[in-house]
Amino acid sequence: MFSGWNWAVHCFYLFLNICSFEVSGGLVQSCGHIIPESPVLALGSNFTALCILNESCLDFGNIYASQIIWKMKNKVVPKEQYREINITVSSVTFNDTSSLASPLTCNVLADGQIEQNIYGISVTVGLPPEKPENLSCIVYQLSNLRYPMNCTWNPGRHTFLDTHFRLKYRWSRESFPDCIPKSVNNSCTISDVQFFVNLEVWVEAANALGKAESDRLVFDPIEIVKPLPPHNLSVNSGILPTVLKLSWENRISAAVMKLKFNIRYRISSDTNWMQVPPEDTASPRTSFSIQGLRPYTEYVFSIRCMKEDGVGFWSDWSEEKVGVTTEDNPSKGPTVWRTIDASPSPAFWTVRLMWKALEPFEANGVILQYEVTVRAKPPLSHPPWRYNVTTTSLTLKLPNGTYEVTLIAHNRVGASPPSVLLIPSSNSKAPVKNIRTLPKDGKLWVGWTAPNNVLKYVIEWCLMSNSSDCITEWQVEPGNIQGTYLKGDIKPFKCYLITVYPLYADGQGSGQSVKAYLQQDRPSKGPTVQTKKVGKAEAVLTWNHLTVDEQNGFIRSYTILYKTVDGNETAVSVDPSKTEYTLSSLTSDTLYTVRMMAYTDEGGRSGPDFTFTTQKFGRGEIEAIVVPVCLAFLLIVLLGVLFCFNKRDLIKKHIWPNVPDPSKSNIAQWSPQVPAKHNFSSKDQMYPEGSFTDVSVVEIEADDKKSFSEQDLKPFDLLKKEKSTSEGHSSGIGGSSCMSSPRQSVSDSDEGETTQNTSSTVQYSTVVLNGYRDQTPVQVFSRSESTQPLLDSEERLEDHAGGSDGTTQRQHYFKQNCGQDETKTDRPFFERAKQIISANEEDLAGFAQLQISGQSSQPLGFELEENTQEAALPDVLQTSTEGQTVRPETVEGNVPSVDEMPKSYLPQTVRQGGYMPQ
Amino acid sequence: MAAADIPSAALRHHDLCSRGIRLARKMRSDVTDLLDIYVERQGLDASISVAAVDGVPAAAAERWAEQSGTQRLLDNLAAYRAFRTLLAQMLEEQREQLGDADAELGPALAAVLLQVSAFAYHLEELLELESRGAPAEEGSEPPAPPRLSLFEQKLRGLGVLRELAQWAVRSVRDLRQLAKHGPGTTLEGSGTALGLPESQ
Repeated sequence: MFSGWNWAVHCFYLFLNICSFEVSGGLVQSCGHIIPESPVLALGSNFTALCILNESCLDFGNIYASQIIWKMKNKVVPKEQYREINITVSSVTFNDTSSLASPLTCNVLADGQIEQNIYGISVTVGLPPEKPENLSCIVYQLSNLRYPMNCTWNPGRHTFLDTHFRLKYRWSRESFPDCIPKSVNNSCTISDVQFFVNLEVWVEAANALGKAESDRLVFDPIEIVKPLPPHNLSVNSGILPTVLKLSWENRISAAVMKLKFNIRYRISSDTNWMQVPPEDTASPRTSFSIQGLRPYTEYVFSIRCMKEDGVGFWSDWSEEKVGVTTEDNPSKGPTVWRTIDASPSPAFWTVRLMWKALEPFEANGVILQYEVTVRAKPPLSHPPWRYNVTTTSLTLKLPNGTYEVTLIAHNRVGASPPSVLLIPSSNSKAPVKNIRTLPKDGKLWVGWTAPNNVLKYVIEWCLMSNSSDCITEWQVEPGNIQGTYLKGDIKPFKCYLITVYPLYADGQGSGQSVKAYLQQDRPSKGPTVQTKKVGKAEAVLTWNHLTVDEQNGFIRSYTILYKTVDGNETAVSVDPSKTEYTLSSLTSDTLYTVRMMAYTDEGGRSGPDFTFTTQKFGRGEIEAIVVPVCLAFLLIVLLGVLFCFNKRDLIKKHIWPNVPDPSKSNIAQWSPQVPAKHNFSSKDQMYPEGSFTDVSVVEIEADDKKSFSEQDLKPFDLLKKEKSTSEGHSSGIGGSSCMSSPRQSVSDSDEGETTQNTSSTVQYSTVVLNGYRDQTPVQVFSRSESTQPLLDSEERLEDHAGGSDGTTQRQHYFKQNCGQDETKTDRPFFERAKQIISANEEDLAGFAQLQISGQSSQPLGFELEENTQEAALPDVLQTSTEGQTVRPETVEGNVPSVDEMPKSYLPQTVRQGGYMPQ
Repeated sequence: MAAADIPSAALRHHDLCSRGIRLARKMRSDVTDLLDIYVERQGLDASISVAAVDGVPAAAAERWAEQSGTQRLLDNLAAYRAFRTLLAQMLEEQREQLGDADAELGPALAAVLLQVSAFAYHLEELLELESRGAPAEEGSEPPAPPRLSLFEQKLRGLGVLRELAQWAVRSVRDLRQLAKHGPGTTLEGSGTALGLPESQ
């Protein structure tokens, strides 16, 4: 920043000089100058400048020193700092140069108003260099002959000025060219130095304000050498499997420097270096034998050197070199353990011997095979079994007993010491107690209270999982400890079953187990809860325990959370051993949402929501209501039955009045004139005169006429007309008459003579359309007049017994149902119609013809029936059409005459408007 | 002051001798390497015989064992000053012949030249320590060597290096002698040494 400012000042100063040059060139004459010219000032010092006016200006411009104005940049210097030395010289003084700013100009007020510049100078402010400190040098060996020396120093404070540093060095009688730093101010490298001659070295710093020198160092450069490390390392296997010989070449001549060395080495798979004792390598050499190494182990070597007397610097470490020691006998036998499976037969064991492969530092080479010897102990007597295997397990089938297993490992060089395992017939010795576990330092520690005289311990463990079998791992520990870390890949959040067996010299203790986690976590899911039973105020919840894979830790508790749709959640803590819980005090007929959380030491996780609705009634409440109601109903029914039974006659009279059966009447024997003849009939006996006092009269209310259209009533009008126009014959209504009786017909007949006069015309029925019983009767009266006697002969009836029966039944039907619920009668009517069809085809044809003719010619005649029979009629019609297809010409061509009409009790209207008795 | 300076002078003398010996050994080693490089780079045969070269001091000396310490120092100083001049001349000739492209012979020559200078400085220090003072070098330029052909220059260079190697061996022996007897002993026969020419 400072140099940039100086540059600007210089530019301005140059401009002023140009002006001055122009002035001196004749354009304008310079009126003065400033002393000193462009000074370099020490920061903080005082400074005085003089502005000297030329004599000529006094004459021509009337300019005097008293008119001078000093300015720094564009700022006027206070007049207090001015001093008029004489008429042509003015001075300005600054007590502290730090307040100075360039340019410093000398100006005058021409004509008392116009300020005119006389001269200007630039002022450079800085600091003198400080004495360079901490000078130090080091000689680097770059090759066998090149030894550049690098010196560094502390250049001191910033001077704000261009400061030059020089590294000076010389012998006492001979000087060398200075070393001038390039791009830096705190170090310099001398390309080559000469050893064994004292060299005097110092640093000189200089700028415009002064010069400073560092303290002088005098040294022999050989004392500050950092040599190159030895190279071309080679490692040779020695005669012994624990020795390797390391050789190398030094890159500095022994004539120049005697060296001492450091040798470090490590096992290839290890990162920690070991070092040969320095005193063993403190003398010049080019090889060294490293002892105490492990057999059949790969080592990495490296070496460095420095001046023998320790003056100077250590070289860097050399490149690494690898060497392998030779094989040796295995140092120990493999640790062996067994599992025994006595499941097929207690008398025979399936013994699986397993042992751990020796560690490389124990195997001392490549294990080629294992030699297993199994010796039976008394009372068993059997020559030893010997096996040579290359794997680390062996399965044997042995009779139950005590055995001694010996295991020896072999490599190329020799055999290991034997490992012995005693397999007793039973684990009768004292077991360990108080087994416990503790996660520590990322490992799982298992401890126990030891019994006495334990030879060693075997710790078995396996990872418990639902997805895989429990694969047993094991380790052997000496008998003098009471705890150890599990050696293996113990995973967090997994449950391990750990078993400790104490082994004695003469037996074995039973294993004691404990479950443990290296690290616990929240369960991976919560229990799935559901209801086992839901009552009015309680619900029995059930759930399954989380699997061991889901637990991630020891389940410490369950919490059941339940709530209604809009209610607060209620939590219930449940013992983790339970799988069922009964929620009580619930509200009846309410939807509940329940979920369950399982907690480990690290937290809990919730299972899915489950909803259920409590019942509206409690257990037995329904029974308590239904049973009494049923009993009451039964009682009422019983009472009703009894009542009906007692009043059966009355009921029968009202509901099922006895209707004389015309079919059983004997019209031939009946005669109005001879009423007594009737008395001989059984019916007369059954229904004496007095019993007919309540013969029903079917009446049609006047209002009911409305339900019949005028056309509906036409047939009745026609009937009337026909009655009036028929040759004086009154009509006797047959089958459709309701509650008609011969007697009534007789009584209703006003023209008894007519009936009596015509022997072939029998008045047998009167149809009265009226309301039922006490309803206002409608005086629609029809009278059937048949040219054929109703029951002209008993023979005819007999001939058509089936058909007659059918018609009789129909007649019964009409009689019985006129005053009853019509809908109930539809079905039986239809069925009877069917019976008719099936009974007599011929009758059917006739019946069909009748139906069709009635339908086609006088539909209104049917509507009366339709009002009472509704659906039954179409059914009948549909059935009848079949008969119609058989003989259509009969229907079309022949308008049935009265004579040709089949006999029937069915009241019908015909085209002619007459009512056709049959 | 003198009593106090005696032990320090003896130490200084011993130190100078010790370091001089090591320097001479290093010089011997380096000159041997330089000879190999020189023969190879100059295309010479290592077995070539070179007659005595003018101006090159001979290491062989009659009655070497009888020489005083100062005489030894003076002989050595004269020889190494001569070698310094010769080597500087060789370095110049080598640069003219091979230029800066040769990155091996030139630096090696310069390194040996520096060692020769350093050894001469050692000798001067030792002479100073023995209150004898080093004879001043000739102030004027050494007599210009006769103009030689290129091959003669190569041979002369080979002769210089071979003789320097000899001198390095002799210097080690001389300094051992000096170190054995200490600074005082070298004053023996100093009168004869004084009569020696200061430069060769």
